[in-house]
Amino acid sequence: MKTKTTNQTTPFNLSWKIAGKAGEGVMVISKMVAKICKRHGLQAFNYLEYPSLIKGGHQTGQVFANNYQASCQQKSLDILVTLNKNGFKEHQDEITPETLVIYNSDAGPLDKKKYAHLTKKIIEIPFLSLTKEKTGSVNAANIAILGASAYFLGFDTEISKKIIKDEFEGKNEKIIKDDLIAFKTGFVAAKKLGQPIKKTPQLKDKQILLTGNEAVGLAAIAAGVQFYSAYPMTPATALLHYLAAQQENYPLIVKHSEDEIGAINHALGASFAGVRAMTGSSGGGFALMAESVSLASMAEIPLVILEAQRKGPASGLPTWTEQADLSFVLTAGHGDTQRVVFTPGTVAEHFELTIKAFYLAEKYQIPVFILSDKFILESHQTMIKPKLEYNHPRQSIIKSAPADNSFRRYKITKNGISPRSIPGQDHGLQLTNSYEHDEFGFATEEIKQTTSQVEKRTRKMNDLIKEIVQPYLVGPKKAEVTFVCWGSTINVVSQLICNQSLEKKKTVNVIHLPTVWPFPKKEFTKLAHKAKKLVMIEGNQSGQAERLIKQETEITFADRIHRYDGRPFYVEDLQDWLK
Amino acid sequence: MSCTITTSSIKSPITPTWCPGCGNFMILNALQKAFVELELEEANTAIFYGIGCSGNMADFNRAYGFHSLHGRALPNAIGAKLANHNLKIIIVAGDGDFYGEGLNHFISLARGNHDVTIIVHNNSRYSLTTGQSSPTTKKGIKTKSTPMGVIEKPLNPITTALTAEASFVSRGYSTKPSQLIQLIKAGILHPGFALIDVIQLCPSFNKEENHPFFAERIYDLAETDHNSSDKMAAIIKAQETKKIPLGIFYQDKKSVPYHAQLPQIEKQSLIDQWSAEINIKTAMTKFK
Repeated sequence: MKTKTTNQTTPFNLSWKIAGKAGEGVMVISKMVAKICKRHGLQAFNYLEYPSLIKGGHQTGQVFANNYQASCQQKSLDILVTLNKNGFKEHQDEITPETLVIYNSDAGPLDKKKYAHLTKKIIEIPFLSLTKEKTGSVNAANIAILGASAYFLGFDTEISKKIIKDEFEGKNEKIIKDDLIAFKTGFVAAKKLGQPIKKTPQLKDKQILLTGNEAVGLAAIAAGVQFYSAYPMTPATALLHYLAAQQENYPLIVKHSEDEIGAINHALGASFAGVRAMTGSSGGGFALMAESVSLASMAEIPLVILEAQRKGPASGLPTWTEQADLSFVLTAGHGDTQRVVFTPGTVAEHFELTIKAFYLAEKYQIPVFILSDKFILESHQTMIKPKLEYNHPRQSIIKSAPADNSFRRYKITKNGISPRSIPGQDHGLQLTNSYEHDEFGFATEEIKQTTSQVEKRTRKMNDLIKEIVQPYLVGPKKAEVTFVCWGSTINVVSQLICNQSLEKKKTVNVIHLPTVWPFPKKEFTKLAHKAKKLVMIEGNQSGQAERLIKQETEITFADRIHRYDGRPFYVEDLQDWLK
Repeated sequence: MSCTITTSSIKSPITPTWCPGCGNFMILNALQKAFVELELEEANTAIFYGIGCSGNMADFNRAYGFHSLHGRALPNAIGAKLANHNLKIIIVAGDGDFYGEGLNHFISLARGNHDVTIIVHNNSRYSLTTGQSSPTTKKGIKTKSTPMGVIEKPLNPITTALTAEASFVSRGYSTKPSQLIQLIKAGILHPGFALIDVIQLCPSFNKEENHPFFAERIYDLAETDHNSSDKMAAIIKAQETKKIPLGIFYQDKKSVPYHAQLPQIEKQSLIDQWSAEINIKTAMTKFK
């Protein structure tokens, strides 16, 4: 991702948040606000926080949108909509004297003086009773909130209404009608209480809005995935849902498996039979899959795996983020297991690298990981609309086998890639084997055959490393501090750099690692050696990527920033650190 | 046109490494004979093997094969069947493999009625690891891992399969090859989850349960008035302990396999629908 700061138009941004209980429609409204921003041609980021329960608790959605770069949430808010008083307490650090707080007065009378030290701009709207009065039920109360928000943010009403219609497309007409009434109700109520605080500009909409999970799913479709098997686990579940829904549109089978061991093994079986296959889980579920990562490597079966990190260890904080499965994913699987580990940053990079993952998996007959985390997998982010047509021809699969039955599945080759046959091909008989094997696939314990197969598999990495995505620098060439990050953290650091450049400051740049294995030693060393002060930033306690870098390059860091409380990094926190 | 499997084509260049007198020889022969008699196509037959003495059969068949991990042959096989349901899929596993390590796969996937044939080599021992107790070892038997005798009661594979909704449940015996061939053939022809539990002699680690032991206990269900479409009758038969019934306990004649219930592969298998060219417009609808 390259930060674009050359935009000639006046910078415009908005930061909106909603807080309520699970089950009050917080998440859907937040996504709709982000989508309305996108339809206005803005970049948008929608960050969701929720506890691991179905009803109650405290849940938030927050949208940061602008016309230059919106790659993460912003702490300070222009608007906070709170459905109860809890919102004041929970988000006091995000309320500034300029923040407009919209309080749902159906939650009880409010003593505004109590919160005057936070902001004096508090308005009260009884969203539930107003909606009930106009539509006969409180079901659409969240759309009334959307109406009030649209008014204060200066959204185009037609765009907002279109989003409502699109969101509830396929539902019965009464629901859409009530939603439109509720929207107007909220809008009118807001109008009586004050002036809009923003006038959202209208630019050309060239983007799509989707989560990291959805980007992985969309890219998997683009790459020709035909089989996905998984067992539900936050934050990988949304990929299962997305692909399951695509079964009616594409030649695709999605299997909700009996457990994660089954999930990875269904995918390996499907891949053996010749279709492009994928599995996914979070750390705990992936732990169960580890033995079969080893199988994929040994038997040389292509496989793409999404490892969606959440806060561990064990059950940890199920709905919160972390980057602490890196060391595990790098070594999961007994023996000298070969693998590729991608750590995409933006949603767009998730799309790009997932396509690449399928290509590399098939060509090199190897497990390829997309290692990501809750923060970006469950956040919505805009990306430029991708092209619609894709062509991904077969890699390393034979067209036909010699009629004399001399086909060798594990043929020793110079580049380590052996030709692969798939069941159904005449004369292509082969034994895909978890045991060490000879060139036909029959088990062997013989010294020379063992060594030559081990070395053959290792040789594949020589060409493979030339095809990985190299680390890259974001921000000015020279800076006081060079951050190093991997995975989703780039979204926050590059936002900081973008914000700095708007203020004509050039104190920070960042090296982002979209691939951590095979480790891109050469390119990383080149970039790191230009840095004045290297600072590692990663979302774990133990400094896993820093350890990896030291192991691979002997490069050491001047300082480090870790976060391990389940929350993502914030630009504001990094600014404080820089002071 | 694909070649049909013949007695010579199915033989691999590798000589079996099993102990003399091992029941696996008989099971291998029965399997190969069943393939030949059914005239299965070489290219469209795939065998999935677990880990154990039984799984070592992988080297003795010349066929499309997948020698998987302990307990995982079944989920691999089912993935392959969904990817290409034109394949005839056979799973070769052991009692430790299938009733121990892979038990969740067995119970969960039987319910789905996936169209695969499973041959479980059941010798009531972990023989490849030199003779520890297995899930089907009788209570009280002393083995290296249970020197004071097994405390658990043995798992009953037939009852387990029946209650897990398997649509074809049978038992063979390695020393009764002609019946075993017929059971394997019936299992392969059955459109659904077909279990053939095969009592297998292990002359190295289960010397007590030898041929004379079984010879006086076994009898053929086909020679009784057992109705194999009656599931309750099958469950009762499965509980017999003094005598050992062989043959088909239960077969659902109306069995509809899992893959036949997936609309996306109704007309063509998944692999046959493969295309290098993809348009993502539909997949992108919700993101606009």
